[in-house]
Amino acid sequence: MKRIYFSYFSAIFFLSLFVSGCNQSTSSEKSGESGGKKLTVGVTMLSMQNEFIVNVSDEIEKKANELGVELITVDAERSALKQIEQVESFIAQKVDVIIMNPCEVEASSPAVTKALAAKIPIVNVNSETTAKPTAFIGSDDVESGRIAMKFIAEKLGGKGNVVMMHGYMGQAAQIKREQGAREVLKQYPNLKLLAHQTGEWDRAKGMALMENWIQSYGADINAVFAQNDEMGMGAVKALTDAGLKSKVIVVSIDAIPDALQAVQKGTLDATVFQNAEQQGAKSIETAVKIAKGEAFDKETLIPFQLVTKDNLAKFMK
Amino acid sequence: MENHLKTDRNPTEKPYKTRIKGMGRYGIFIAFILVCVVLSVVTPKFLTVSNLLIVVTQVSINALLAFGVTFVILTGGIDLSIGSTVAVTSVVAAMFAHPDSYPVIVPILTGLAAGLLLGAFNGLVITKSKVPPFIVTLGTMTIGRGLALILSKGRPISNLSDSFNFIGGGQLAGIPTPIIILIVFFIICSVVLKKTVLGRYMYAVGGNEPAAKASGIQLNKVKMVVYTLCGGLAALAGILLTSRITTGQPNAGVGFELDAIAAAIIGGTSTTGGTGTMTGTLIGALLIGVISNGLDLMNVTSYYQQVVMGIIIIGAVVLDSLNQNKS
Amino acid sequence: MNPDYILTVHGLTKSFSGVKALDQVRLNLRKGEVHALMGENGAGKSTFMKILIGLHSPDAGEIFFEGSELKASHVSEMLKKGISMIHQEILIVPELTVAQNIFLGRETQGGLFGWIDEKKLNQQAAVLLEQMGVNISPTAKMKYLSVAEMQMVEIAKALSNDARVIIMDEPTSALSDKEVATLFSIIRDLKKKGVAIIYISHKMDEIFEISDTITVLRDGKYIDTRPAADLTINTLIQLMVGREIDSLFPDSTSHKGAEVLSVKNLSRAGKFSGINFEVYAGEVLGIAGLMGAGRTEIARAIFGLDAVDSGEIYLKGKQLIIKTPQDAIRQGIGYVSEDRKGLGFIPGMSVKHNITLSSLPNHARGLFIQDKSEAATAAKMIADLRIKTAGADQKVMFLSGGNQQKVVIGKVLLASPDLVILDEPTRGIDIGAKFEIYKLINRLVSDGIAVIMISSELPEILGMSDRILVLSQGKQTALLTRAEATQETIMRYAVH
Repeated sequence: MKRIYFSYFSAIFFLSLFVSGCNQSTSSEKSGESGGKKLTVGVTMLSMQNEFIVNVSDEIEKKANELGVELITVDAERSALKQIEQVESFIAQKVDVIIMNPCEVEASSPAVTKALAAKIPIVNVNSETTAKPTAFIGSDDVESGRIAMKFIAEKLGGKGNVVMMHGYMGQAAQIKREQGAREVLKQYPNLKLLAHQTGEWDRAKGMALMENWIQSYGADINAVFAQNDEMGMGAVKALTDAGLKSKVIVVSIDAIPDALQAVQKGTLDATVFQNAEQQGAKSIETAVKIAKGEAFDKETLIPFQLVTKDNLAKFMK
Repeated sequence: MENHLKTDRNPTEKPYKTRIKGMGRYGIFIAFILVCVVLSVVTPKFLTVSNLLIVVTQVSINALLAFGVTFVILTGGIDLSIGSTVAVTSVVAAMFAHPDSYPVIVPILTGLAAGLLLGAFNGLVITKSKVPPFIVTLGTMTIGRGLALILSKGRPISNLSDSFNFIGGGQLAGIPTPIIILIVFFIICSVVLKKTVLGRYMYAVGGNEPAAKASGIQLNKVKMVVYTLCGGLAALAGILLTSRITTGQPNAGVGFELDAIAAAIIGGTSTTGGTGTMTGTLIGALLIGVISNGLDLMNVTSYYQQVVMGIIIIGAVVLDSLNQNKS
Repeated sequence: MNPDYILTVHGLTKSFSGVKALDQVRLNLRKGEVHALMGENGAGKSTFMKILIGLHSPDAGEIFFEGSELKASHVSEMLKKGISMIHQEILIVPELTVAQNIFLGRETQGGLFGWIDEKKLNQQAAVLLEQMGVNISPTAKMKYLSVAEMQMVEIAKALSNDARVIIMDEPTSALSDKEVATLFSIIRDLKKKGVAIIYISHKMDEIFEISDTITVLRDGKYIDTRPAADLTINTLIQLMVGREIDSLFPDSTSHKGAEVLSVKNLSRAGKFSGINFEVYAGEVLGIAGLMGAGRTEIARAIFGLDAVDSGEIYLKGKQLIIKTPQDAIRQGIGYVSEDRKGLGFIPGMSVKHNITLSSLPNHARGLFIQDKSEAATAAKMIADLRIKTAGADQKVMFLSGGNQQKVVIGKVLLASPDLVILDEPTRGIDIGAKFEIYKLINRLVSDGIAVIMISSELPEILGMSDRILVLSQGKQTALLTRAEATQETIMRYAVH
């Protein structure tokens, strides 16, 4: 598949805040014009620098090609403001449906309100907004935190010291994954949360954080819960370097290929699979159904799955 | 400027103003020692060989970036693109670093080449177009980030060879390789600055650009070299990072330029150019690293860490401007 | 206390880290007089004035202003009391208008939100400028004014503060003769209004033209106060340097040698055109002319700082193509700029490093600087030119103007030039240092170097040059021999 990147700088870029880059990709293979007017779907994604999001987006694109739908995909670069502007431009272009992968719970809400006010259906994928969209496809992040911490609790027999690496503080995924983990911790009074700190979803930061924790707590740490695989991989690296990996359990979320490989090698004990393909596929399918006036589900929750060495084969491609 | 203080005095006595300046220069060193002492008292985990090795290892990436940026700031410029250069280098090096593909020198050289090219691009545009470096490197920052994403298709590149991973993750005689690389390049950069014609020219260009030109110095040549050097050092930092986390990351290095600039400025590099030393920059980077490590050891949330870091940066610049006013 | 005195100072003492910058200095300033404050650089004039306007506070001594004691505190308070200073480097905000600059910090406010009433400001400024008899629009942006006009605005600003004492520090250093005349007529007007002026300048002819009384300081100490009419240039110089100087311009023993530089039909649009001259080894070619006549522009073009549109430059018979200063230096041309601070030296770098800057590759092996060779060369030059500095590692910004100039000359000489262009080499330099620069020029020519000296001071041109090129509005109007030249002939050709 070919991708055409249109990168431009806005005229004024004295403040990086105002640097507005925009990656638009249009499906270049116009497959089967299956009679009548072709549907146009506007897609705005949280960040094309995040592997999981890229996977969702790729799946949307793949499915769109199968369904013969014209896609306009843009990257919000983690900025809710930019996302709102992108949705406004979709409205102006009179697309048939909008698919939004929201940057933020609150700040991206106006985009939903605006689309609905313009009578254009909007589908939220992967995360929620306060304003209710036409349909929601995603997974419940609280569940992923629950699954991960539950795994740790069972492995440790309900007793031990845990450290937790947060994503960007205040983001929906961070809040929910923490919430799920804490729910489980409450059920196991002998499971102690030794320390928690942000690793900003970043592998290098996660690694540095783990190194510092090792200095601080050493062999007292029994398990690490990282809210995403990137940080988890960083923790694994730091523990391996310190010769402690065999003694410490590491669990993270997302099941990126790197993490799956690590599970196979046995360095990462478990990851939690969030189904990018299904989220992508379901969102475009739902969008098309809405546009064609067919019946659709207002909410599709795609379940998380725990990935360990035992069931790894299912997730490896 | 009148000089009633200097001319008639005993020439062996150090001039008053030089002494004040000197205090400023040692100020950062004293601050660094002070922070170390405080941390040693507050948390017993701080002053251990293993922790200190980890701090310096963590600092090495920022320090290498800061060395490059010190060259640039010394000449009165700025480079905002180094964080993106780290990402491009990371991706490029990782592409050639799979096991059983190429010998380890290939990813190192291709990575370095990528960084040097980006730096040279900055230098070329800045010298040919006369557009301020701030704007040029801001543009390169975005271009670099885009290139990294294009080359990697937005995904991290993992499964790197052991020999490549040794660069940032290995040890020689019990000392982590990043520390050895840091020391080697600290010495090289210091020598370039203090002992070479080029280094002298950097001070001259930053100290008074028109006068440097009238003294026969080729401004464009100096600037070209400086930005290229900065790109090269950023590439080195990128290779080190990639090797350390054993993946090529297109989104690596976001915001790194600010940490590097902060290290240089905390270390006494004047924001207007003309003054600064590599030792100062190294201490600046160490100070940032030690504080972040210490606060982690004490389990202080990152929110406070950011506040502390901001106060230190402003403090350093205030110190710098107080010194300048005195002279 | 004598009621004629508007300002009385006695016993004023100020030390910086144990070194006395001012020692028991006194001054009596009458209403409506121009009182020149004379002394070499380092004599303490600046420190004295900084105390008067509240930038420094004295260690001891008293200042009485209009009969009451002044406790020096803050610049704005001194301004309110009526003491203003016109600085050597004009302090203006280039993007603001004339009126906005005059009333900067004291904008008349009105309206609900403290809006600035621009109209009122402009009117008041117009009145002020009118009173001074200068023709400057209050709404013009400062950056479009000439230096002289900016100075007038500064004076207007002082007057708007109701200043009764105005300190002028080298006010004419950047003015043309005509502009100086305007300034002097304004000063005479101010005198009539009872404003007292403390006048600091190195230009002897001005001092005797404008001042009523002269006070001399030397090494921070009060030397004497006398009516200007009782003094001659020689007696004044004697008071300032503490010894007698027989002649300001030392005799030269050089002999004219072979042609070094030949300039043919040199032109640069809007700046100068049709310039032809030669300079020979062992001679000083003086270039005279009014401000804007194109003197500095020609020097800059020969040195590669500006491009020329047409014409040829030959050095020792060989045609040169000079695009950058680096080319010029390599070919053997050295340039000491009139803009010492801007183009001369790197203020934050040491004396040693400044001196070797243009010849650094000579003290390097490959890329690496040979410290010993560099230090030895610098030390020799410092001794040779008698540069007064606390050491080779002293930063140049801490030196006096004369010593800074010597550092620049030292740098130029180390690149072993065949031709040295000196542009206003003694501007802002005290008498003693001037004399040394003149001796240095003579030494250069007796070593067989060709020298071009650009100067606005006619006595200097006449005293130092073997031949004199006179320019007027970008054209050369005369090439005089020393015998032909007098102040009158030069001026005649300069206004051609």
